[in-house]
Amino acid sequence: MIENYIKQHAELMPEKAAIICDNEYVDYAHLWQQVKAQADLLRQQGVKPGSVVVMRTSQTIGFLIDYFAVHIAGAVAMPLDHNIPQERFESIRQQYEGKPMPDGVADILFTTGTTGQSKGVMISHDTIMADAENLVDAHGYTRQTVFVVCGPLNHIGSLSKVYPVVMQGATLIIVEGMRDFDAFFRAMEYPSDKMATFLVPANVRMLLMLAKKRLKPLADKIDFIESGAAHLMHSDMKALCELLPRTRLFNTYASTETGIIATYNYNDGQCLPGCLGRTMKNAGIRISDDGLIVCSGRTLMTGYADDQQLTDTILRDGELYTSDLGRIDEQGMLHLMGREDDVINVGGLKVAPLEVEDVAMEMPEVEDCICVEAPHPISGSSLKLIVVLKEGATLDRKKMAMFINKYLETYKVPLTYEQTDQIRRTFNGKPDRKYYRKER
Amino acid sequence: MMTELKEEIRTLLEEVLPLVDLDSDFLFAELDSLGVTTILMTLSANYNIELEAEDATPKNLRNLDSITEMVKSKLPQ
Repeated sequence: MIENYIKQHAELMPEKAAIICDNEYVDYAHLWQQVKAQADLLRQQGVKPGSVVVMRTSQTIGFLIDYFAVHIAGAVAMPLDHNIPQERFESIRQQYEGKPMPDGVADILFTTGTTGQSKGVMISHDTIMADAENLVDAHGYTRQTVFVVCGPLNHIGSLSKVYPVVMQGATLIIVEGMRDFDAFFRAMEYPSDKMATFLVPANVRMLLMLAKKRLKPLADKIDFIESGAAHLMHSDMKALCELLPRTRLFNTYASTETGIIATYNYNDGQCLPGCLGRTMKNAGIRISDDGLIVCSGRTLMTGYADDQQLTDTILRDGELYTSDLGRIDEQGMLHLMGREDDVINVGGLKVAPLEVEDVAMEMPEVEDCICVEAPHPISGSSLKLIVVLKEGATLDRKKMAMFINKYLETYKVPLTYEQTDQIRRTFNGKPDRKYYRKER
Repeated sequence: MMTELKEEIRTLLEEVLPLVDLDSDFLFAELDSLGVTTILMTLSANYNIELEAEDATPKNLRNLDSITEMVKSKLPQ
């Protein structure tokens, strides 16, 4: 398992900086010591091998120590969103905590399934190793790499970067989002010319819109920047290439279910739009007859936790059928052509509109509603709730937003609200999502 | 003038950030990166002022009053 590398580095280079966060710092020797102590504590508390430990994610060294310790104790980590409503946290805890999972499972990460409710995706230790090897091989992580992680550590995009860092004995700097630009830049100004980071396309937008001047002087320090999880606009790709001419800039195809699959350095002089490059060493892809991307290899999930039926719909004979439409060009490069299902990608986080509608329908003023995708200048897409109100009710956007946030994570709360007389439905009574997509 | 500007900014920001409590004295703590950027973009577009990452400090975004101050200082005198 990936934690074995921490032990190895603790012996071979005990004083090497492992993780830095705010004013805290831990070297590999102390990291290993603390992970072991925490694992002992978990065992004393009765955590059994193979059983689930539910945890609230935070952008701290302590969170990663807990996360590694769960693995060392032989248990399964289930890190939940840092701002998940308490009620939901408790209900997930009741559902999963202590529950045994199949052999070899390391993590359960929550993501939006193709229909409605969030699903727990089981990730094995072998998948973690395969993802780490893919990233080390494709992006060239070395002992000198200093990786700034600014996205949520319960999300595959950021969590998966912890693995190659640990594998290579590199240094991780944790930043709490990009909200405090100054904190992000202070991290990137760390004295090293092997800086690297992962930015969702919305973060790239933000930097290009607000911080070009501060990014430019870092051109010779930044070794590589990886993006993924959502569509990267071609104009942003070109702007970043211009700003950082010597930095390797990757666009990666990955998801919680598939693992880290393919990547493309768009700072190659061609900057091909929509291109996701070639498959990594532990991954395979093909395009199905109906144009969908089908993945294979060691990075695939073990399955959805507690839901064999749903697992069977997308994982068959060692292949994972995604809802992404793609094509492979003559050079063997993958190109993304859109999505086939109703999932809305909000700045890299996936939302099933049905989940939002189910909560909105609980509001006493709401007669009917549909959650649709609306364009957003920064994140590309945002959520809009179109509602039919009950007689006499008035549209109170703030009240609706607060109500939905009581049950769902903040990124699932619509930004805009619009009143209408009727929601268009298809002949079988389902909301006519295609109609509203055309309306955009 | 200050109160007028403040109320105008409140209306603008309520429109784009329905979840944020604009009366909070700990506004920055409640915002995520998208919220911070949205505020800067909305204000710079609406008042035709230049706002950059350097302006997105916890001090400037502490509450509606400090945001109003920031906008006022960027407006042509």
